[in-house]
Amino acid sequence: MSSTATTNPDQDDPAVRAAQEERLRAAWAPPRGFFFRWTDVNNSAVGVWYTLTAFGMMLFAGVLALIIRAQLVIPNNDLVSASTFNQLFTLHGSMMMFLFAVPMFEAVSILILPQLLGTRDMPFPRLSAFGYWSFLIGGVFVAGSIFFNAAPDGGWFMYPPLTTDPSLSGIGADIWMLGLSFIEVAAIAAAIELIVGVLKCRPPGMRLNLMPLYAWYILVVAVMILFAFPPLIAGDILFELERLLDWPFFDAARGGDPLLWQHLFWIFGHPEVYIIFLPSIALFAMIVPTFARRHLLGYPWIVLAAVGTGFLSFGLWVHHMFTTGLPNISLGFFSAASEVVAIPTAVQIFAFIATLWAGRVVWSTPLLYGAGALAIFVIGGLTGVMVAIAPFDWQAHDTYFIVAHLHYVLIGGSVMPLFGGLYYYWPLYTDKKLSDRLGRIAFWLMFVGFNVGFFPMHISGLMGMPRRVYTYSDEIGLNTLNLLSTVGAYLFALGVAVVILDLCLSPRRKLAERNPWKAGTLEWLSSPKKENWGVRCVPLVESRYPIWDEPGFVQNVDEGRHFLPDAEENQRELMITTVLDAEPLQVARVGGPSIKPMLAAATLGSVFILITFHLYAAALASGLAALVVILWWLWTGTGIIPEKAEKPVGRSIVLPLYSSGPASSGWWAMFITMTADATAFLSLIFGYFFYWTVHAEFPPAAQPGLVGPGTYWPTLALVLIAAGWAATIAARETNARGRIRLARIALSVAAIATGAGALAVLAGPWLAELDPTLHVYPAIVWVLAIWVAVHAALGVIMQLYTLARSLAGRMTRVYDGDVRNIVVYHHFLALSALITCIVIGYFPRLV
Amino acid sequence: MNAKLENRAQRLNSSLWALIAPLVTWGLHFLFCYIFTAVRCAKSGPFTVISDVRLAIGVATVVALLLVAASGYVAWAQSRVEGDLPPHDENTDEDRLRFLAVATLLLAGLSFIAIIFTAIPAFIFEDCQ
Amino acid sequence: MQSHLIKFLVKRAVRDAALLPLTIVAITVSLLGGCAGVQSTFSTFGVEAEATRKLTLVMVVAGVLITIGMGWFVVHAVRAPPGRLNHTSGMRVILWLGAIGPAVLLTVLLVSTLPMMKTLPVNDDDLEIAVDGKQFWWGVRYLLPDKQVVETANEIRIPIGRTVNFTLTSPDVIHSFWIPGLAGKVDMIPGRSNNLVVRATKAGTYRGVCAEFCGLSHARMAFDVIAMQPAAFDQWLIDAAEPATAVDGPGRQLFEDYGCNGCHTVRGHFTASPIGPDLTHFGSRLSLAAGTLPISVAAIANFIRNPAMAKPGALMPAFESMPAEDADVIAAYLMELK
Repeated sequence: MSSTATTNPDQDDPAVRAAQEERLRAAWAPPRGFFFRWTDVNNSAVGVWYTLTAFGMMLFAGVLALIIRAQLVIPNNDLVSASTFNQLFTLHGSMMMFLFAVPMFEAVSILILPQLLGTRDMPFPRLSAFGYWSFLIGGVFVAGSIFFNAAPDGGWFMYPPLTTDPSLSGIGADIWMLGLSFIEVAAIAAAIELIVGVLKCRPPGMRLNLMPLYAWYILVVAVMILFAFPPLIAGDILFELERLLDWPFFDAARGGDPLLWQHLFWIFGHPEVYIIFLPSIALFAMIVPTFARRHLLGYPWIVLAAVGTGFLSFGLWVHHMFTTGLPNISLGFFSAASEVVAIPTAVQIFAFIATLWAGRVVWSTPLLYGAGALAIFVIGGLTGVMVAIAPFDWQAHDTYFIVAHLHYVLIGGSVMPLFGGLYYYWPLYTDKKLSDRLGRIAFWLMFVGFNVGFFPMHISGLMGMPRRVYTYSDEIGLNTLNLLSTVGAYLFALGVAVVILDLCLSPRRKLAERNPWKAGTLEWLSSPKKENWGVRCVPLVESRYPIWDEPGFVQNVDEGRHFLPDAEENQRELMITTVLDAEPLQVARVGGPSIKPMLAAATLGSVFILITFHLYAAALASGLAALVVILWWLWTGTGIIPEKAEKPVGRSIVLPLYSSGPASSGWWAMFITMTADATAFLSLIFGYFFYWTVHAEFPPAAQPGLVGPGTYWPTLALVLIAAGWAATIAARETNARGRIRLARIALSVAAIATGAGALAVLAGPWLAELDPTLHVYPAIVWVLAIWVAVHAALGVIMQLYTLARSLAGRMTRVYDGDVRNIVVYHHFLALSALITCIVIGYFPRLV
Repeated sequence: MNAKLENRAQRLNSSLWALIAPLVTWGLHFLFCYIFTAVRCAKSGPFTVISDVRLAIGVATVVALLLVAASGYVAWAQSRVEGDLPPHDENTDEDRLRFLAVATLLLAGLSFIAIIFTAIPAFIFEDCQ
Repeated sequence: MQSHLIKFLVKRAVRDAALLPLTIVAITVSLLGGCAGVQSTFSTFGVEAEATRKLTLVMVVAGVLITIGMGWFVVHAVRAPPGRLNHTSGMRVILWLGAIGPAVLLTVLLVSTLPMMKTLPVNDDDLEIAVDGKQFWWGVRYLLPDKQVVETANEIRIPIGRTVNFTLTSPDVIHSFWIPGLAGKVDMIPGRSNNLVVRATKAGTYRGVCAEFCGLSHARMAFDVIAMQPAAFDQWLIDAAEPATAVDGPGRQLFEDYGCNGCHTVRGHFTASPIGPDLTHFGSRLSLAAGTLPISVAAIANFIRNPAMAKPGALMPAFESMPAEDADVIAAYLMELK
């Protein structure tokens, strides 16, 4: 594209602009009505619901914490029973992690990322809505369990066998596993959307070196979610199979091992900390330059920090397992990696400090929260360096020292920056500033309360107070420290209450000016005259801080002098650009209001909820309903053939309205989804080899029910699935060459072969009469076989769907996105069939 | 010779994949160290002396450091492409290339340190206790 | 112990003036409160815990200095007039303070602390103790060189100056064996057997606890640890190997009548399947119900009639219908088992 293209002349005419605005307004009009307003999918609506719900979850989990502190205010207190207490701390931790921290980051990102990138919406608005409804359903299900005395009570990391033994843990464990698994799926959906958003929806000119740092952080975090959540989902599958069907994955008596859960959980759990922390630092990276009145110093250093932390955080998980008796040399590797990760963290902190140093600091409430967060976080980071040293951790592990450390990290590294972000971004959405006075009062209450509450916990931990105790004895000298902690917790809560008061008073305040903080980034293009279209036109970006650096930038955008200033066809349109240099590629049309995402979330959520109550028939029915809804959604809402091939977007540029393959956002979404899916699969493979490592003999000595599936059926399955894969590729190629009939035949053959492959992979363990309740070996073989079979079955559905699209004329030679997308799926399917065949068929012969 | 090498390095196509290459190297090295040790120790018991594993880790460390150094060199060469002074915040091909190169160079530095850190325990512990 | 805690707090106070009043309060109350310190990592009586305590102090001092430095630096940065720091020197700040400085400090820390992880050397003549963590008590077995096994529960006695090798297992859920004054904690994991090698240096009475959440009475799963002079320990072990003192009263009969001997062994009196704690020398123990209650007739009798009162989720059935007199008689019998 050329940046010298001249402005379209008609933009000078106010009447032309008014007509454009009228059409844009119509295309982006939100649905109205008591019920139908909830079918909105626009990021500004969904983002607000999402943020408010996550905030509500935080308040709920916070109240649980206040009850915990009330119980611990004096020794031998009996305010709540041990059983209630265990539910309280389990739910507090689980909710803060799964229902507040991660969803909050996704919510805020859905809300502000499109604005930040000068685009009109997320690339898949209906997927955002689906994610929100899933979060709401799963969240209410999990949080509500406490009112029925049925909340999970095994601690937020749910260590088996305490949690897998039905006599020791009730339905709460199932609610945790299934409810949160559902939310994890939604979190991955949001991650896919954020990755595609950052890589493909940037405005023209916003090359990688001009991207707002927030987008860099979100990109890193979303990729981390792709690799961190699937191991937990794999663990959840094993966990529920043990609870519901008695497959002994974590039962030592039958060859299982409780430590496998710990590995899978913490491979998720440690990156999780950074998944929570980095987005808040991303808010910092927006706030600091604004109030230092200059560009951020050390942009590549921040990218180093974000990307480096993202990677290194996957090499730390065993530092949560320092006391499990692993060899010291193994602990050493993880101790070393845990130290290294402090370096990128220090880099970003010094980049912020250097920016403040170089700039002209304008003191403000958001910056006050930033400074307070920094003070708290530095202490949390330093105690983090301490606990990364194994001998110290052997003392500190599972004590209140850790409770103090994690709260310093998470409140300093996540909650306080979020409050800063709240004060900073509130005017963007309400056009009113929050009160500086109340903000500062709230800050000091929270800051003092936090330190009074949590600092003493370092000492009580080292004085021998284990975490998760519902009470403590009078004699071990912990009374005063606990009293202080409780007082501090209530002070902190008072601070939060002041913030809420401030929010409630906001509607009565007068309008603020546009861009009240005089910031330089694109999101502040937003004008007090609220429009649903996001941005008047998609801007051409030439700098990291366009509002500061480019004269007349705001006016040009307001007058629609850049790209896509109109909605001639009454469609919701976004610009798709290239990954590295943001060169315009395509105009993509995105879905408008629809009830389908909500229905899909409800039916899919029901599957998880019904399984919790062992209502398998109803769950199956609900699962089929979900499948129907999703197919209906895809059929009517995706891959739509445009009425013309291309359209002008302004500045003399003409772009296609359709693309397929790697140029399209849908192909990327499929690729990214399958990356996450493959990670879950590899976690199961890791499980197989974990059992092989811990057992002297694996597979165990041959006896009825324990004999493996042999090589015949796994090999046959591989051949069939590979044939299906090859036929799918053939369908793509023949279709692209205009041999439509041949392509349809290839798709039919592919579906038959893939379906037969699904049956063949199950036939192996079935005919060998492997009994999965006997020992962990048959159980893990069955899980791998079922995994491949289920994926092959989904592959068949996709092949038939594509065939139907071709027959219905919704897929043609040129408009072939469907077949290109399913080929990506089948690449991954073939790969997992290959690995499974080798592992369950041939590996036992090697050992 | 050096100038030629630098020239060739500058012409390599840089992308997001190049950015993460050093860290991927760290990840592979880390997994190698951890998995090899874990399997050996689990199979042979806590008192096994694992000189062979430590030697293998030493070799893997040298290889990984060389790979990271190579990617760092390419990045360094690319960061010297003709163009403006830093910060690389112009909407030009050169600035985008030089930005990615600087970021890759920094990540190579971080990965270099991380790989050395990972290898340190192998120098200190002799057995599987 | 007190002096270390005070040092710790004082340094913290210097670090952050905003927290000064709070810290002073904390110091004062911890002085007045006179913390017993039987379960504290600050009051050490073993070589490992002592080494870790020193490491803790060094790291705390370093942490305090770094925090002060950062605080000063932030204030300086905010107050500096604009333009004082140009791009090049800004990069230098990030490189030296953000990257190279931390890298050097962390290298020093890692290289100097990794060797601390090494297990104490073990010999064949070390004392071997097997500890089983169960919901919610501790089975303790002394494995003597002559293959003799001396069983006890909820109390561990060790000699000072001698290496002790604990073998740690669990038959039910994950527990964690932690004697803060002696050494770091090690998990007890079903299906696995872990070891902890320690050496006590100072005689005294201390306390250990379960550190891994293990169910309803996780908070009520502690034990007494008595570090003894070697000679006294040897004598105690000889006594502990003996069967229970010969008592023959109504209590012994009631113990049997109520079926207590179905779960509790009293060597010389009753042999049971090892479901509940061994009670052979119960009367000489320092506490009841895994460090939860004092040894007294009233406490024992109450516990027998309703164990869940003190220990929710305890597996011992409640004997609520047992007449109070009977419970007292059983309690008196148990207290005679010296």
